[in-house]
Amino acid sequence: MIFLNICFIARNNEGDQVPSVRATKRFIKFAAIPLSIFVFVLVIPFINGFYYTFTDWDGFESTKLVGFSNYTKSFQDPTFWSTLRFTALFVVVSLVAVNAVAFGLALIVTSKLRSRNVLRTFFFVPNLIGGVILGVIWQFIFNSALVSLANKYDWTLFKESWLQDTNKAFWALIIVTVWQSSGYMMIVYITGLVSIENDVLEASQIDGASPLRTLLSIKVPLMAQAFTIALFLTLRGGFMAYDVNVALTGGGPFRTTELISLHIFQDAFLNGNFGTGQSKAVVMFLMVALAALVQVTISKRYEVQR
Amino acid sequence: MKKFTKLSALALASTLSLTVLATAPTASAATCTKKTTVEMLGTIKPEIQTEFLAAVKAYNSSQKCYTLKSLPGDRNLTFLQNVTPMYAAKNAPTIMYTLQEIPDMADKVMDWKGTKLVKLVSPGLLAAANVGGKQVGIPSTAEAFGLLYNKKVLAAAGIDPAKITTRTQLEAAFKTLQAKGKKPMHFSAIWWSLGAHFTNLYHTNAAKTHEGRLAVLDQLSDGKKDLSKDPVFQNWLATFDLLKKYNSSTTNLTDTEYPASIESLASGDYGFLFQGNWTEPDLIKAAAGTDFGIMPLPISTDAKAYGNDSIPVGVPGYFMIDAKQSTKAERDGAIDFLTWLYTSPAGQKFVANPSTKGGMGFIPVYSGFKVQPATNMAREIAKYVGAGKTLEWINTYYPAGLQETVGKVSMQQYFTDKISSAELAAAIQAAWKGSVKTWRGAAK
Repeated sequence: MIFLNICFIARNNEGDQVPSVRATKRFIKFAAIPLSIFVFVLVIPFINGFYYTFTDWDGFESTKLVGFSNYTKSFQDPTFWSTLRFTALFVVVSLVAVNAVAFGLALIVTSKLRSRNVLRTFFFVPNLIGGVILGVIWQFIFNSALVSLANKYDWTLFKESWLQDTNKAFWALIIVTVWQSSGYMMIVYITGLVSIENDVLEASQIDGASPLRTLLSIKVPLMAQAFTIALFLTLRGGFMAYDVNVALTGGGPFRTTELISLHIFQDAFLNGNFGTGQSKAVVMFLMVALAALVQVTISKRYEVQR
Repeated sequence: MKKFTKLSALALASTLSLTVLATAPTASAATCTKKTTVEMLGTIKPEIQTEFLAAVKAYNSSQKCYTLKSLPGDRNLTFLQNVTPMYAAKNAPTIMYTLQEIPDMADKVMDWKGTKLVKLVSPGLLAAANVGGKQVGIPSTAEAFGLLYNKKVLAAAGIDPAKITTRTQLEAAFKTLQAKGKKPMHFSAIWWSLGAHFTNLYHTNAAKTHEGRLAVLDQLSDGKKDLSKDPVFQNWLATFDLLKKYNSSTTNLTDTEYPASIESLASGDYGFLFQGNWTEPDLIKAAAGTDFGIMPLPISTDAKAYGNDSIPVGVPGYFMIDAKQSTKAERDGAIDFLTWLYTSPAGQKFVANPSTKGGMGFIPVYSGFKVQPATNMAREIAKYVGAGKTLEWINTYYPAGLQETVGKVSMQQYFTDKISSAELAAAIQAAWKGSVKTWRGAAK
């Protein structure tokens, strides 16, 4: 964000008479505080953490450099690989599901429904509940509420808690993630939908386009920016999901539903392997950065200038 | 009240100065020029926070040299996660309390050797916090796990728990309960009960000496142990199967299982539960005063087999005092507080009295305790301790993370019939193989 601000300020000053001095002054005025915070809480710890991956850091101190051995150990860890596979699957499925639901909700609440304002609030509320509380609530639903209802009314699907089966626990994670974040993404899509000028829509109406044709050929291309943002946010959210994972499944059953963040946390703070934990975190950073870059580059191509 | 504590502290201090002149500072009587603040991370455990903080308050007003301050820390975080940033900020707490991270902390904390408190504890309870000859920590209390039972339910079915000395007799008791229309057993699938406590039943019975048990850990770490060929392991498996067979609770692998299991035993529908005495306050609360007992879980069919008549008793955590970032005055204050807590009459009340009387309900592990535990289960454990019928908590020596790996994966898989007993043995062996021998003082 800060880099964007800097570019923005620099661009604004292009036409000035004494650009360099004024630009620098302005830059200092605007960016000094956020930039220093950015450096101190992000850049320095990041470099520090990166350095630690090459040492024998035990959480307290490091005594010597160990080269790439933390990375080799990380990649030799079979649970790291299975966690990566599980995380990849989770990211793909949650990305599709959250965005599909969010876009659908956005279409509903921008239609001519009378209850649309109530619905907007209604769909957004789950996002205001913290991930941990949400996980606990849904754990109760899956573990107790659904199971006792299933036993009473004989629903075979819910007779055993979903959290006790790896595949069902995966879908439980997806359901809760969709429930939590689709409201937020809905807001992003609403912004995209309402920013489309009415004259374009009216023109398409006069041309006799069906609602589906309008949606696919007019609305979607014109709000491609909203897709870029929403896809980026859900992609990042999928990779970094932690609180719902901890509170809902806790990685169970049998540690088969641990997402990458939880796995790294456990390795460092539970097993006390700070070196490998930190190097896995670096690997995760590279993956998220790469995936996000690819996604943004592709989505940008579909954006249209108005 | 205040006068009394002061007087007694004075009396205590003067007798101490007469008898143990050369030992650690007994600052209750010592003079000091200014007050030192001593920081402690946490309140031993969250369940007894109120009582512990009351003890801290009483201590602070009992003398003029030190102010003890308990830093709350973050309970959702692990011990290491709380402590590493504090060390990095050169702001380490003086008193720390933990169990499994003792090997990680050994080079940063003070040696308790020669202090007054350490001389009052039996060597068996100190062993787990002795790293390479250095006494890294001192125990808080003793806890025990085994078969808990609902006294009323067993009495109504005509079962005398003292007469159950073999696995066969245990099965007979289960059948009697079934015949009386009761549910025999709530076998909890919660990971830490399976991963730490239930696995300990094998490890503690695997050899008759401390050294022998550690040797089993050595063999497991070297990959040289074939569990399936060990008769003790076979007995342990048979016990596992027996408890699974008579388990009448719905399987729940998540953390909500713990309160559910307490609810079960307290309800009066179940006879037995495999758990520890830390459940006692909650059990009594939930059952409105019904008493609960604890007995050994016999894994052998031979009544005379080693360990069949004993319960695993261990220390849930040790106090450590930082030696890297604290001042001499802070360390003296830390020792003074813990000495006050466990040796002064006022401190002992906070330690051993039940929660109904404002105490932490601890089972005393320091000799010379005037206050004795008041609840049934605590008294029974004290009896086992007194008779020497205790088994070691080998789970204290498990490398960090092992009880999660075994408990959350292979034990719960076997519990839910996902793997066979041979696969369970192989999985336990695989989890141990290559682990650093921290139980031998080896550094990671």
